[in-house]
Amino acid sequence: MKQCMFGLLILSLFLTGCWDRRELNELAITLAIGIDKVEDEYQVTTQVVVPSEVSMKGSTGSTTVALFTASGETVYEAIRRMTKDSPRKIYPGHLRMLVIGEELAQEGIGKSLELLSRDWELRPDFYVVVAKDIPAKEILNVTTAIESIPANKMFNSLKMSEKAWAGTHSITLHELIADLTSDGKEAVLTGIQLIGNKEIGSSKQNVETISPAARIKYDNLAVFKEDKLVSWLTEKESRGYSDITNSVKTTVTPISCPKEGKATIEVIQSNSDVKGNINNGKPEVDINIKVEGNVGEVECKINLTKLGTIDELEKIYEKEVIEIINETLDTLQKQYKTDIFGFGEAIHRSNPKEWNKMKENWDEEFSNLTVNVKVDMKLHRTGTINNSLLEKIKD
Amino acid sequence: MWFLKKKNIKELNPSPPSPSQAVAPQKKDALKTSLQQNIQTLKDTLGESSDIIIREIRIGKEGTIKAGIIYTDGLTDTPSLQNFILETLMLDIKGIELQKKTSPEQNLISILKDVALTVGEIKEITNLDVLFTSLLSGDTIILIDGYAQGLIISNKHWVERGVTEPAAQTVVRGPREGFTENLRVNTALIRRKLKDPNLWMESKIIGTRTKTNIAIVYINGIANDKIVKEVRLRLDRINIDGILESGNIEELIQDSPYSPFSTVYNTERPDVVAAALIEGRIAILVDGTPFVLLVPALFVQFFQSAEDYYVRTVIGSLIRLLRFFASGISLLAPALFIAITTFHQSMLPPALIISLAAQREGVPFPAFIEAVIMEVTFEILREAGVRMPRSIGSAMSIVGAFVIGTAAVEAGIISAMMVIVVSITAISSFVSPSYDIAIAVRMLRFAFMALAASFGLFGITVGLIALILHLCSLRSFGVPYMSPIAPFNVSDQKDTFIVLPIWKMFTRPRLINQQNRVRQQDSASAKPAPTKK
Repeated sequence: MKQCMFGLLILSLFLTGCWDRRELNELAITLAIGIDKVEDEYQVTTQVVVPSEVSMKGSTGSTTVALFTASGETVYEAIRRMTKDSPRKIYPGHLRMLVIGEELAQEGIGKSLELLSRDWELRPDFYVVVAKDIPAKEILNVTTAIESIPANKMFNSLKMSEKAWAGTHSITLHELIADLTSDGKEAVLTGIQLIGNKEIGSSKQNVETISPAARIKYDNLAVFKEDKLVSWLTEKESRGYSDITNSVKTTVTPISCPKEGKATIEVIQSNSDVKGNINNGKPEVDINIKVEGNVGEVECKINLTKLGTIDELEKIYEKEVIEIINETLDTLQKQYKTDIFGFGEAIHRSNPKEWNKMKENWDEEFSNLTVNVKVDMKLHRTGTINNSLLEKIKD
Repeated sequence: MWFLKKKNIKELNPSPPSPSQAVAPQKKDALKTSLQQNIQTLKDTLGESSDIIIREIRIGKEGTIKAGIIYTDGLTDTPSLQNFILETLMLDIKGIELQKKTSPEQNLISILKDVALTVGEIKEITNLDVLFTSLLSGDTIILIDGYAQGLIISNKHWVERGVTEPAAQTVVRGPREGFTENLRVNTALIRRKLKDPNLWMESKIIGTRTKTNIAIVYINGIANDKIVKEVRLRLDRINIDGILESGNIEELIQDSPYSPFSTVYNTERPDVVAAALIEGRIAILVDGTPFVLLVPALFVQFFQSAEDYYVRTVIGSLIRLLRFFASGISLLAPALFIAITTFHQSMLPPALIISLAAQREGVPFPAFIEAVIMEVTFEILREAGVRMPRSIGSAMSIVGAFVIGTAAVEAGIISAMMVIVVSITAISSFVSPSYDIAIAVRMLRFAFMALAASFGLFGITVGLIALILHLCSLRSFGVPYMSPIAPFNVSDQKDTFIVLPIWKMFTRPRLINQQNRVRQQDSASAKPAPTKK
């Protein structure tokens, strides 16, 4: 009898029946979400994968993703309202891109991020970008070549570009939230742009030509003050930002040759160390950058077989990068008065007492901050040839 | 449960009138002095069966002494019967004055036994019961008028299968011989491998009607005496009419009858039995089957193949690890697939989830039902493949492969990934060298699938904990089933998940054997190395 009861109790567990179960074909797998502000309401756009179009077999030739749009007073409300339109419930577990409209960015992004950081289904490791000049919805409405899912194109582009080009910078949601909540650091976000004809861009026709009529492309960094977009950096300033914040993986930098012409240095490793300290009651920041690189391209007549030439190139590189960095610092200190580099945090780390005093007035302090930049360049290799072939071309 | 209770078992067997009981009191009796009476008793008891031959002859100088020769046709070696028994009795001793020599101490029976009959095994009997058992086992019986004794001459011979390669446990490298249905041949196969005077074989006859011969084989001094005693005790406890296969014995002596896991190991390979005996295990041989039982059986034993010890140690270890891994796949692959695709989609990489979702488009069933359909189909195909005549096996495999593999996916009823998962599971289940563990795992797989479908990975985890608890609670003849993992024993790890080289196996398994643990004395000389000059 006891055994029977026990068996029944065990079996009754199964009565809950697959609670919370969702089959794969009941999910609207969302890879990108765009958030815009339209007349006091959030307009949320989701880019949902059409699985049968992605696979080789069942494809009928239509687009690989579908867009769903809904508005609401809050982001969550808008997403739930989407089920009125979408046949399946939005599943954001594999979200890769969050695109924020420029208008919303100018008003402030904090409120719209709350849901995305709270919901358990989301992983906060997706990239956040700002749509430049157009609503986020338009960015999500473009078909792309090579990567058939536009969200994957955006994700992979940003990932690859960040690895190979110092001008781009990827920011995931948790990095963004850390920046937004920090006292001593303001946030930046990568911009994204739509170039070309957006009417053709949304159709499959767009990718049927060699040169698509519309394409999406990453732009420079957007500077935020609190959670509001203030301005856009130039490419050079974006590069300077990466140098200071130790986020250069590899990149190339053109420099001037000693006499005339240009040479390109391939940076293979770059480490920057930012140290804050208080000097005579005044905050000061030392930036120490150690770079390792190769000579990538020589478009001038120099003798690379001599050790002295290499030293010379290293000096030129150091000088020119310091110039870029100073220019960047100048723009942000004098023009925007926004500490996107985290200098405040550096000072907080070195002297918390002093920091607490100047915390309230940091923007002002920042604009008058003394920054000492030091760059140390080491060139290793010169490629497969020694002197440039230009030497042998008689002009 | 009520239907399992045995309270009314006596009512099932109504006592009177029983034909066996009428004969029974007579049976217990000793032999009579009158040959006629004895033969009549035999005829009455055996019901004049056509295979029992009763030959009445006259021996002695004038043919004055009546004698009867009784044997079972087909179980007795007829040429030897004619050459050594009939010829001796009827021709060779014809001239001798048998009657005269007969004195009380030296009767005719003894003379025949000691002087006349040129055969190997010969015994005197006075008991009818023993007579019947011997007669029906194939011995020849000689009864002589005027004596309440008889002679049993062992000249059994019947047609049987020869020693062939075992069908169930094949190896690439290793001996190709397997046990046969004959107990004597089987003991001979073991004896040929172990020429040790301490290899003891105890005989028992179990089954009131089948009278099956059973041998308990062990190496005295290595096998644990307590376990030998326990085996004897459990075998003696059996009181059943028929034992037809060692599986019957296994069921009657095992520790946990309702567990899916077998606590008695069985094998067809003499080399496996010999290795087990050296380790201190006890073998139970049953006449009429090539499957020999080994106790105590441990969980890891079911993952050990004879070949592990014959190939190079690194290869043997890797293959054994692979076997554990494959059993894991066989147990959990469909359950994990169900749990992850229906509860934990976020665990999948984005590219994979899109690919899987694309395959599931248009599939009408939930993943669990899909998996159950495929698994059950596979089990049906497997069972059909085992039972059906060999000649149509290939036809079935074509139909099976086509139906499950291609048509179901083409028709959109089953997703392609599910076919892959079920195939991998099926193939993995055939990796384990023992059929017992494979079938247990196969059964538990369905339970895990149900748990996964109801509770996701949480259910699988709870199921695994329950399974491990169950395994740890099992015992085989007093030895913990999961040893040497739980209780953990460092020195026995040499032959658990990996196989160390044979020159490193110094001791026998600890819990199986508690005396005489050392296998190799000198560790330095055991290690192979070039001899130094």
